[in-house]
Amino acid sequence: MIARETLNALKTRFGPALIRADLPADNRLFVWVLPEVVRDLSRYVFRDLDARYVISIGADDRPFSGNYLVAHNFAFDRDHLLASLLVHLPPDAPRIDSITDVVPAANWAEREIRDLLGIEPVGHVQPKRLVLPDGWPDDVHPLRKDVPWNIAPAGFDPSRDYPFDPPPPGCTVVPFGPFHPTLDEPAHFRLFVEGEVVRGCEYRGFMVHRGIEKLAESVLTYNEVPMAAERICGICGCVHNVAYAQAVESAAAIQAPPRAEYIRTIMLEIERLHSHLLWVGLACHIVGFDTLFMQSFRIREPVMWIAEKISGNRKTYALCVIGGVRWDLTPDLQSELRQVLDRLESEWQTAVAAIRNDRNLQRRTRDVGVTPPALVKDAALIGPVARAAGVDIDCRRDHPYAAYDRVAFDVVTHQGGDVWGRVVVRMLEVFESIRIIRQCLDKMEPGPIQLSITDDLPAGRLGLSSVEAPRGESHHFVVTGENQRPRRWRVRAPTYQNLQAIPAMIRDQQLADMTIALGSIDPCFSCTDRMETIDIRSGTARTWTQAELLAQTRARPE
Amino acid sequence: MNLLWTILGSALNVAAVVLLAPLAEGVLRKITARIQSRQGPPLLQPYYDLLKLLGKEDLESGECPRVQRFAACLAPTAILAVATFLPMGFAAPMHAHGDVILLVYLLTLVGISTLLAGLAAGSAYSLLGISREMMTMITLEPLFAVALIAGAVHTRSFHLDTVLHGSVYATPGVPWSGFLLLGVFLLALPAFVQRVPFDVAEAETEIMEGALMEYSGPKLALIKFAQMAKLVTYCGLFVALFAPWGSHLVFPVGWLVFWLKVFLLVLLVTFVAATHARYRVDQAIRYFALLLGAACVALVLASLGH
Repeated sequence: MIARETLNALKTRFGPALIRADLPADNRLFVWVLPEVVRDLSRYVFRDLDARYVISIGADDRPFSGNYLVAHNFAFDRDHLLASLLVHLPPDAPRIDSITDVVPAANWAEREIRDLLGIEPVGHVQPKRLVLPDGWPDDVHPLRKDVPWNIAPAGFDPSRDYPFDPPPPGCTVVPFGPFHPTLDEPAHFRLFVEGEVVRGCEYRGFMVHRGIEKLAESVLTYNEVPMAAERICGICGCVHNVAYAQAVESAAAIQAPPRAEYIRTIMLEIERLHSHLLWVGLACHIVGFDTLFMQSFRIREPVMWIAEKISGNRKTYALCVIGGVRWDLTPDLQSELRQVLDRLESEWQTAVAAIRNDRNLQRRTRDVGVTPPALVKDAALIGPVARAAGVDIDCRRDHPYAAYDRVAFDVVTHQGGDVWGRVVVRMLEVFESIRIIRQCLDKMEPGPIQLSITDDLPAGRLGLSSVEAPRGESHHFVVTGENQRPRRWRVRAPTYQNLQAIPAMIRDQQLADMTIALGSIDPCFSCTDRMETIDIRSGTARTWTQAELLAQTRARPE
Repeated sequence: MNLLWTILGSALNVAAVVLLAPLAEGVLRKITARIQSRQGPPLLQPYYDLLKLLGKEDLESGECPRVQRFAACLAPTAILAVATFLPMGFAAPMHAHGDVILLVYLLTLVGISTLLAGLAAGSAYSLLGISREMMTMITLEPLFAVALIAGAVHTRSFHLDTVLHGSVYATPGVPWSGFLLLGVFLLALPAFVQRVPFDVAEAETEIMEGALMEYSGPKLALIKFAQMAKLVTYCGLFVALFAPWGSHLVFPVGWLVFWLKVFLLVLLVTFVAATHARYRVDQAIRYFALLLGAACVALVLASLGH
């Protein structure tokens, strides 16, 4: 009903501009619209209907429809609806009106479309390169279908520099990253610092791209992609694994068996357990409280061991295939899992009590990295960052998947939107995860764990899937295709949205708070940077430069 | 005879600090590890670390290598010079050659060497580190001066042996100023030796060791050793000023008692470090300002004879 009502609302306002609509289920809506109205339509959906911006996707659809495709995805969290506004663009010099002035959260997504597909967002507020490396030629767009996955573009210029903004008057530039002890992955923030106060910053990331999306469209098959998807992230890999499988299943109208859904739920929650325990530890380390860091990791370790016993790996569980899961939970493992949970619960209660009574820690985290609700809306922030600001969203409840509609749990929220709030939300979510796993173990019944799919999946269908990762919503968009592989697969990891708010979160704060503010979104750069198509040749080009650099640093001054 | 004694005693003090400072660091690391449910490194690990660093290539990566080399040498020299003015179970070896004022200068020199090291390195992070170091010094260093002056006021003497022997309590009645200073110093001790929660000037997770970030190999070994020596020397100063009892026993008993008390103070620093998060620089400075205020009250009390 909701999907139909939303469509009717759009029809009454933009009637003639809507070309076609598709309502495959009551919680999914696809609307094809004319390019001219996309900006107004986005404003209407984002501001008037108060939908949450999810992501924009570009795709090269020329071999199939002769056009480029751009989709703006929105989520109606209260109404349990995921919607996609799709636009076809002509193949010559594709341009589209930028929506960044009405939907600020679309900043990165449109720049990415410009980099990778060469679709120009007209009127973009910050039309700078985002994904491609500095030396990449301007006219090569890796995600176009006529560009091979292992392209080594001629004209790669290693000497080209990124045009950074000049610092505001009176500020000095402090480079934060690409390598910094508190960044576990490379990302570069140019901080504009006045004394000890940060006045602004500019981000340059996407340094660990691996071309996974292009690989999926050109080399892998449907059931190989989950293994690649899992390797998008070293912490929440299972999230991507499940989200991809669900997106394909939703596109092809496949329903995994109930036992498989319970197993997916259990593994996702195990992943959340270890991720939150890890994060609380790291946050303590960032503010110099190493004792709690160590204790938190000690408490976490049995979770890793039980994951290894269940799946064979501490991480990378290799869980999903299309239409089910790859392995079962034996009764022995189930009872052992319960024991691990019991111990974890009692130990974590002690740790939580210690952290809640620590005034020193609160002094470092209260009123730091604040996200007011307006920022949450404009930047489309998600996960614990949004919940700590009192915005009650959680995909597990709002867009239920796997077995989440069959278990009871509370969505933990907090007021204030500061780092302390994020600490509290994550600490308490651990108990909810334990609760969910226990219910799944109680309710799980014997049965098959995967479907036997013998037919080819239909081509050209669209699938959306949102999974609540430990850091927030992880959104996957799939267009099914030929040769047993998707035509287009777009991953939007939660950090992709949350990271965009960092400049606003750290403005006018102490430099010392930068690391904990950044750490508080639990950034995952490899998730964010998941797509790039370069490696091989640009790698060699850079090796030469590095070798030269190395020779220079090792040469002794005369 | 006097000269011979000065040289011998100084050598003895310096040797004790050189040999025992890494051990104190080792104890600190081991206890910290135990509090954190870890096995921890061997007690002697700091010795191995220093030896290994000393044997590494001497890279010159900063703005002004000559000053960097000088700063790296100045740091341990200054702190070892302080050690020769310390009564460690026997009279301070250099007591005839300097007074309390010189001691204050030498203590400042230790901080100056860090500033110099950071300035000469010249990277954005080391400059941030020394600006923090400087803020810390300005509010923290007067504390020692206040304590020494309070002792000098009580005893009407600038003599090292007189002042560095519990002089803060040397009042006819109840030594209120002495007790107040004792409290202030207990709270400030982790800050003097730059450990968590007051390691803002290095703060690995914020500004990547600040002033030290351009240092490696032998230079880093010297600076690291200076930090370890600082830990025991400041604890030694604390013992001399506030808990000198037993130090006058016959050598080696007095000497052993002194070092026992130093290691107890190291334990205190360890426990504080293991149970606290780092203060932000502005929070730390506010804390120091509070301590300084209390110390000034103590000075007023001392001058009034309490």
